[in-house]
Amino acid sequence: MVVCLQMKLELKNISKNFHGVKALQNVDFQLQENSIHALLGENGAGKSTLVKILCGVYQPDSGIINLNNKQQSIPDPSASLSLGISAIHQESVMFDELSVTENVFIGNHITKSNGLVDWGLMQDKTNQLLKDLEANIEPNEKIKDLSIAQRHIVQISRSLIHDADIVIMDEPTASLSQKEINELYTIIRNLKKQNKSIIFISHKLDEVIEVCDEFTVLRDGELIKSDSIQNTNKDQLITYMAGREVNQIFPKNNVTIENEIFEVRNLFKKTQFKDINFNLRKKEILGFYGLVGSGRTEIMKSIFGITKLDEGEILFKDQKILIRKPSDAIDQGIVYLSEERQQLGMTGLMSVKDNINMAVMDRNSNFYVMNKLKEIKNSSAMQEKLNIKVSYWSQLTQSLSGGNQQKTVIAKWLSTKPEVLILDEPTKGIDVRSKSAVHEFMGELVEEGMSIMMISSELPEILGMCDRVVVMYKGLIKDILNVKEASSEQIVKLASGES
Amino acid sequence: MKKILLNRDFILFSIILIILIAVGFANPLFVTPKSISDVLTDTSILIILALSQMIVILIRAIDLSVASNLALSGMLISLLSTVHPELPVYYFIALSCVIGTILGVLNGISIAILKVPFIVTTLGTLSIYRGLIYFVSDGKQVYSNEFSEDFLALIHVKFLSLSFLFWLAVLVFIVIYILLNHTRFGRNLYSLGGNPDAAKYIGVNENKYIIMAYSLSGFFAGLCGYLWVARYSVASTQIAIGFELTVISACVVGGISVMGGVGTVLGCVLGALLIGLIRNALPAVDISQFWQLAISGAIILLAIIINTKTEQRKEKTIMVEN
Amino acid sequence: MSLIPDKPPFKLLDILYKKEFILFVVLVSILIINSNISPYFLDLYNLIDSTFLFSEKAIIALTMTFVIIARQIDLSVASIIAVSSVVLGYTTSLGYDTWLVLLLTLLSGTLCGAFNGAIITKFAIPSIIVTIGTMSLFRGLAYSFLEDSYYNKFPKLVGKLGGGYLYGYIPYAFLTFILLAFVFAFILHKTSIGKKIYSIGNNPDAAQYTGIAVDKYTFVLFTLNGLFSAIAAIFLSGRLSSVRPNIAFGWELEIITMVVLGGVYIYGGSGSILGVVISIFILGMLSFGLGLLNVPGVGIIIFTGLLLILSIGFPSFVRTLRRKNE
Repeated sequence: MVVCLQMKLELKNISKNFHGVKALQNVDFQLQENSIHALLGENGAGKSTLVKILCGVYQPDSGIINLNNKQQSIPDPSASLSLGISAIHQESVMFDELSVTENVFIGNHITKSNGLVDWGLMQDKTNQLLKDLEANIEPNEKIKDLSIAQRHIVQISRSLIHDADIVIMDEPTASLSQKEINELYTIIRNLKKQNKSIIFISHKLDEVIEVCDEFTVLRDGELIKSDSIQNTNKDQLITYMAGREVNQIFPKNNVTIENEIFEVRNLFKKTQFKDINFNLRKKEILGFYGLVGSGRTEIMKSIFGITKLDEGEILFKDQKILIRKPSDAIDQGIVYLSEERQQLGMTGLMSVKDNINMAVMDRNSNFYVMNKLKEIKNSSAMQEKLNIKVSYWSQLTQSLSGGNQQKTVIAKWLSTKPEVLILDEPTKGIDVRSKSAVHEFMGELVEEGMSIMMISSELPEILGMCDRVVVMYKGLIKDILNVKEASSEQIVKLASGES
Repeated sequence: MKKILLNRDFILFSIILIILIAVGFANPLFVTPKSISDVLTDTSILIILALSQMIVILIRAIDLSVASNLALSGMLISLLSTVHPELPVYYFIALSCVIGTILGVLNGISIAILKVPFIVTTLGTLSIYRGLIYFVSDGKQVYSNEFSEDFLALIHVKFLSLSFLFWLAVLVFIVIYILLNHTRFGRNLYSLGGNPDAAKYIGVNENKYIIMAYSLSGFFAGLCGYLWVARYSVASTQIAIGFELTVISACVVGGISVMGGVGTVLGCVLGALLIGLIRNALPAVDISQFWQLAISGAIILLAIIINTKTEQRKEKTIMVEN
Repeated sequence: MSLIPDKPPFKLLDILYKKEFILFVVLVSILIINSNISPYFLDLYNLIDSTFLFSEKAIIALTMTFVIIARQIDLSVASIIAVSSVVLGYTTSLGYDTWLVLLLTLLSGTLCGAFNGAIITKFAIPSIIVTIGTMSLFRGLAYSFLEDSYYNKFPKLVGKLGGGYLYGYIPYAFLTFILLAFVFAFILHKTSIGKKIYSIGNNPDAAQYTGIAVDKYTFVLFTLNGLFSAIAAIFLSGRLSSVRPNIAFGWELEIITMVVLGGVYIYGGSGSILGVVISIFILGMLSFGLGLLNVPGVGIIIFTGLLLILSIGFPSFVRTLRRKNE
């Protein structure tokens, strides 16, 4: 039973549709005053839609929003701010070229009586705030020179300046070291003491249980459960979120791992990574775990030829190979599925057929002339294999659902008949059902003879899918562990920089 | 110390000094007070236009129509002055500004409301406005003897041995400096250019700012319409042809980034001064005017390349080297 | 094997919405209006001769189409014409053989284009800014070389190409344009090269990650633009038989207008050669018709500018209204 303090925010029966996709269906949500309330759910569960409604970016199709027991509407972001709602995102509402002071006061500059900006006052206030938060930041530093943890602090300062009563934090500890995380927890508890209410979004359940007072779980756009944290435990939360037993999400495949097929030695790139040595065996799934920003993507980009390596060797099937650009890697049979599906993986305004065939255009053409038959033959084969839901080949890729878009990108790479597949956060932002489909599919691929290197920030995914895991921290490999023999605690500790 | 030396504005300033000294050696007459005053006067219009173009470039756009705008506004008030020479000169200045602003607002509406991309819009208005000059003037010029004394005299009024035109440029500099650095409007321009999605999120109305930026650009183009006509004592269909390129070059040399959100008012002025200095220095060292265009082009390219090299977004540092 | 159709079922009405169809209707309207206005319009010889005015620009519009689809822009083409024309005149005055004169002319344009391409790709600078710079640089070089003089002696072949007719009927310049249009249409719509250009224009980063050599393609496109500017310069010099450094002044705007009016999106990724060709004829017939009405060249310029803005603004305005009503 929740001790009934004042109800700060109440959402009743909120629904939101996007082109027929039900993002939220009749969701109720109650935020008590002075409470740290966890908002939980898999990617695609509706959390970000809910947050965007609170921030005035979307309007609900139906339902009521009550703030301090008064009905409100939030037509746009400035309305949200003036109602005392402030949000801290992973990606930023940050302006790299402007100073800390300006970012704190952005959109809200203090003006003197003559209408001009009062830099002095803003600088003082910012200084005071930074001192209160015990941050080691100068007010006139440019945002582009700050670390991710420092940027979070700037965002928090901005919420405080706005005198926000409700602070929404979206994955606030995603890229922080353990020390920085603890500092953030202290700040959050201080906010609570200052009478703020906090909506805390995180997929790290241990963190949620430690920090939060209450929780709400969403799944597939619906409210599953709301209660006080003390009435639940981690396993229960997982069940609420996934809707089924954990083991079912990660189909374990029984594959005999063969000999080494791919190896890197002494990879080094200035300010990015150093002393990178690992190997990949045929039919193996090798995981790469670490905090966001630990260098995993940078290594893969260098292997794939997007960026240059300063030093190091790459060996494929025991032969040293030189990869200077992506087409070199692709020709060898090594492909890379980027984390940023929309920006780097697919070309939204081109057809599904074109996207599927994009990496094999040369193979599909005779003396540059496109062979439509080959294009369609390949597209059909891929569509069947991956079960891509599409009505016409000429359909624009951006019209597909997130899961089907990802499948299209995977199809693009499979068309090249690769031997090594590098997947960067392959299930990020996809609903649970598609997620497990992707995992099942990965299992099929290794059975067929492919080898996979997978970057993931979700420990359950690593533990469930991988044979070995490379744990990274700040550009270095902390250790390479056999998943069967390693414990979650061990892995998390290594990834946070502790030994 | 290193920070000062590498400061872009300081480098620009040094280059200007170096050129002055170099040219001064070759032609001592160039560095006399009168000569320098002439150079400053000559560059004043460029400074004013560069500063107003900066406002547009800050929000990731360009205004290619400024020269045509200037010429059309100038022609319209010139024609009016031949019919009504008795009107005070301030009337013409105000009218020119109003016409320029209207032409600028049309740009803004086309871009913000009709959603015609800025390149297409300003390329279009560049032609339309220039064409209208022929239309209103029947292709004829307005000669110096057709202007009233008052009309032409204002430019040449001197204060502290520097012309009114120069002091006007100083005034514009101060106004735009305050606008961009000390008003919400100015700071929001920087945010809109630096991160458009984020700026919209915090409530900056992009359409409003586009229209305002182009209106301001038009306003100053109109102002310069009067200034140009009064200074050169002629209004014709050919005035300021191609000048928009010079204006944009001044901004680029001055460090205003085409990617938006970056650039200082001081840098802009220094960029304009540098370009203006070179334009005047070439004849002083006996380099034929025909080389002007090529040299300007070369300088722009050099400036852009240097700009880019220093501006290059550094990759995020993940690993601190030991 | 699952049978997924390539396109949704064909509806005749869909054609009505296609840009190319609308452009075609506009063209036909202009032809009808023009023929009603002036009896000289439908005269075959007049029509043929009218093609001289736009053929050179049209040739460049073809490569410019590729450049714009690839999300770039080239404002220096008119200046490259100036450089190439000067080289043409100069090498002629040196008494070189015709083939050498032509070779050097083409080379000069190609080098200018390659210069553009190199700076854009090596320093990753937006093409609008680079070509604003080279626009001045190239024409400036023409001015510094020729000053206020002119060339009026060119190889006989050049004169023939510029002002002559094949079989007495078909102007060489126009014929070249039409033939090249077919070639470019084929490349853009039927080859992997064309698809890669669309891909680069739609999402250059994704294209790079897919293994497409974005920089290489960009460099080649600008170089080609330079080459075609030189080709146009040969026809133009031959037709004008007099070349000054201000030759083709303002042509870059007209060429870009041809491309954008033809339905090619200025920010890249979409457009067709057919649309551009129809738009070239629209602009050509418009100039011709207005010329017959004794509308001064200026009027045509104003009209073209308005047409350009409205051709994009009007449909977009209608779309916004429709969305507000939903």
